[in-house]
Amino acid sequence: MPSDVTDLVYTPPDGGWGWVVVVASFISIGFAFSFPKSLTIYFKEIQEHFIISYSEIAWVSSIMMATTYAGGPVSSVLVNRYGSRAVVIIGGLMVSAAMITASFATSVMHLFICVGVIGGFGLAFNLQPSLTITAKYFFVKRPIANGLAMAGSPVLLSVLAPLNQFLFDNFGWRGSFLILGGVLLHCCVAGSLMRPIKIKPAVKKPTHQSVTEVDVTHQTAETINRQGCVEKVNRFIDLSIFKHRGFLIYLVGNVVMLFGFFAPIVFLVPYAEQHGIDEHDAVLLLSIFSLADTVACPGTGFIASTGWIRPNIQYFFSFAVACNGVCHLTCSLLSGYVGLVVYTIIFGLTCGMVGALKFEVLMDLVGAHQFSSTVGLVTVIECIPVLLGPPIFGLLVDIFKDYKFIHFTSGGMLLTSGVFLFIMNYYNYRQLENKEKASKKELQISSANELPAREEANDKEAAVNMRSEEATYST
Amino acid sequence: MPRLARTQQSCWDAPLFSMANVIHIIFLLLYCDTIHSETTSLPELNPVITIRKDLSRGQSHVKVIEEPAVLSPQTIELLCNLSDIPNNPPSVTGYWTKDGQEIENSKETVNRNNDQYIFKKTIQAADVGNYSCVFRENDAQVTFVFDVPVMKDKRDKPIVSYTGDTVALKCTLKHIPKTWSWYKVNNTEKDLINVTASPLKYNIIIHKNVTKLSVLNLTEADAGVYICSAEFDIKPIESQVELRVLSFLEPLKPFLVIVVEVIVLVTLILVWEKCKTRQDHNTATTENDVYPEQTSKLTHSDSNGMETTTRQRKLEQ
Repeated sequence: MPSDVTDLVYTPPDGGWGWVVVVASFISIGFAFSFPKSLTIYFKEIQEHFIISYSEIAWVSSIMMATTYAGGPVSSVLVNRYGSRAVVIIGGLMVSAAMITASFATSVMHLFICVGVIGGFGLAFNLQPSLTITAKYFFVKRPIANGLAMAGSPVLLSVLAPLNQFLFDNFGWRGSFLILGGVLLHCCVAGSLMRPIKIKPAVKKPTHQSVTEVDVTHQTAETINRQGCVEKVNRFIDLSIFKHRGFLIYLVGNVVMLFGFFAPIVFLVPYAEQHGIDEHDAVLLLSIFSLADTVACPGTGFIASTGWIRPNIQYFFSFAVACNGVCHLTCSLLSGYVGLVVYTIIFGLTCGMVGALKFEVLMDLVGAHQFSSTVGLVTVIECIPVLLGPPIFGLLVDIFKDYKFIHFTSGGMLLTSGVFLFIMNYYNYRQLENKEKASKKELQISSANELPAREEANDKEAAVNMRSEEATYST
Repeated sequence: MPRLARTQQSCWDAPLFSMANVIHIIFLLLYCDTIHSETTSLPELNPVITIRKDLSRGQSHVKVIEEPAVLSPQTIELLCNLSDIPNNPPSVTGYWTKDGQEIENSKETVNRNNDQYIFKKTIQAADVGNYSCVFRENDAQVTFVFDVPVMKDKRDKPIVSYTGDTVALKCTLKHIPKTWSWYKVNNTEKDLINVTASPLKYNIIIHKNVTKLSVLNLTEADAGVYICSAEFDIKPIESQVELRVLSFLEPLKPFLVIVVEVIVLVTLILVWEKCKTRQDHNTATTENDVYPEQTSKLTHSDSNGMETTTRQRKLEQ
């Protein structure tokens, strides 16, 4: 990997068409996260039709979610090669075709393959490019853009849930799958909105650049991507991102967090029903949760883009994760329906905070250029806790017969993860500061040697000054 | 049979018994001013099922809801036990009502027996209804409500399926009936579904308290109301399910509408973009940078690099 600093020859627009791209990402990300969850309405009927148990049919959702995460690296390669727009359109066509084929299914295996695998890959081709293109279009306002885009998940879930119920009542599960195939084609609409960034050449500075990157006569994002592709493929095979300390911290923190993240949501309704809450009121809790999530996502984005938070966004993310953990540990102790509602609202708010910042901090760590390949690796590793978390918790509920256990465990995991991220990021920042001072010193010395001889005296003086400054810094 | 006396803390108590042949169900109810009460129970061959309900003081109307009585032919003995009446009169009169109307010749005068007044009535399970024993003295009343068990998981909305497809209609009950049967409603007439007559069409699975009717190779004629009937000795319990059979063209119409809408939107967006870029090309031939010259340093990260991005933000904001 090149170790010297290179300049990307464009400034992200931070507005203009970027906001349309945010809407498109909103739709894509919304479908990617909420669609597998919304299919559960059909499971009872499909279970009767194929004469299988509930746990077998629940695999459809799990396989779909797992493939969405696992398809990340494939998505990364394709995005770097062909750009976000093409990949999202292909993803939309894939998931739509998957649902149409599934409506003709004659066995559960068909559903697993069509909805689970092909549908999952289609959603993966929606999720990852949406995040990438948001990173390309925004820099200063990127947290807001991310917050708005990630709000797609709860909003679309609250839209899809009643829509699915309506379709199911009127058309049965087969007809509903067919119509959902049509609805998912809107991912293609979202994809068509994702205009590739047109890069105009900036003022050329003579720097230590490789020959391929100096060629800036008529560069478009695709060209950059193709060069990036060569690098990226090397990087992908090298997997040298794993040497990036900040990335490793992020990865470990996220994996621990994700184990405990989804289980309370999955078990919210049964937990409420166990406390004697009526079924309708329990489902209302989910709507309250979605609403709180929708409000928190862009709100957190706005907060994160302020001058004070933005440089410390890693700390803000760890704070959000820790808050989520504390919420589970304390608010789940509240009793009665009002207590449950308060818990759900705070839970929704903290979930929204974490969701909005999750990919923003990764972009912050690795930069927009590398984000595309990195997010693929991250999602493929995160696939494991996402898949294993709820079933393990379910097993524990079966053993202990009490949902309180879930709240304490997941709260503990989230709190641990938050604290870990906080401490490790502080340590990482300290290391980086020290390294930067050292490299600044080296740069100034080396540039001093390249200037013509008459400036050598001045440079030597400057170098001496630098050394004395360094001495004062280190004391 | 020996009678066991038990002292309990509840206001009134209703034990339930059952036997193999003749089943006596004795409902013992106490109207009392005090919390302390006495119940008697008849131990039979089968274990005694005690149903307790705590009654608050001063309640003059007690309802007892009991379900299993209707399931098999039996003689039911209803017992009203009144105690702790003020003044302790030597006798108390009362009568029985069925479904709100007084039963003829049911007026009875009962003598006091250890501060208790016991009213008895024997009925057959087939004569189920709402029975009440009413006491003249203090207008106290006890109502026995025999509820018919209902199907679990009743589906209000019709089940939708498609021609050529298979559908499974399901009925569940809490108790296990003698047998199940399925009927199809044909212009207010019930037709029994005979599996042996048309094995390619119907398939009935019966598993204790669950039954499933699979209708294969659906056609439009198969649509309608289906009745599942749980047969008991007394009378059957029924529940109905509506089936709607659609052709595949039905969901196809909204699907095609959506597809057309998507194609129109995508075409519009791409055409608009092409026009705009053509405009941009025509209007700006010697275009300078569209974006400001101040480039942000998005750095390639090193092996340990956040590098200068934090500092960049601090400087630029």
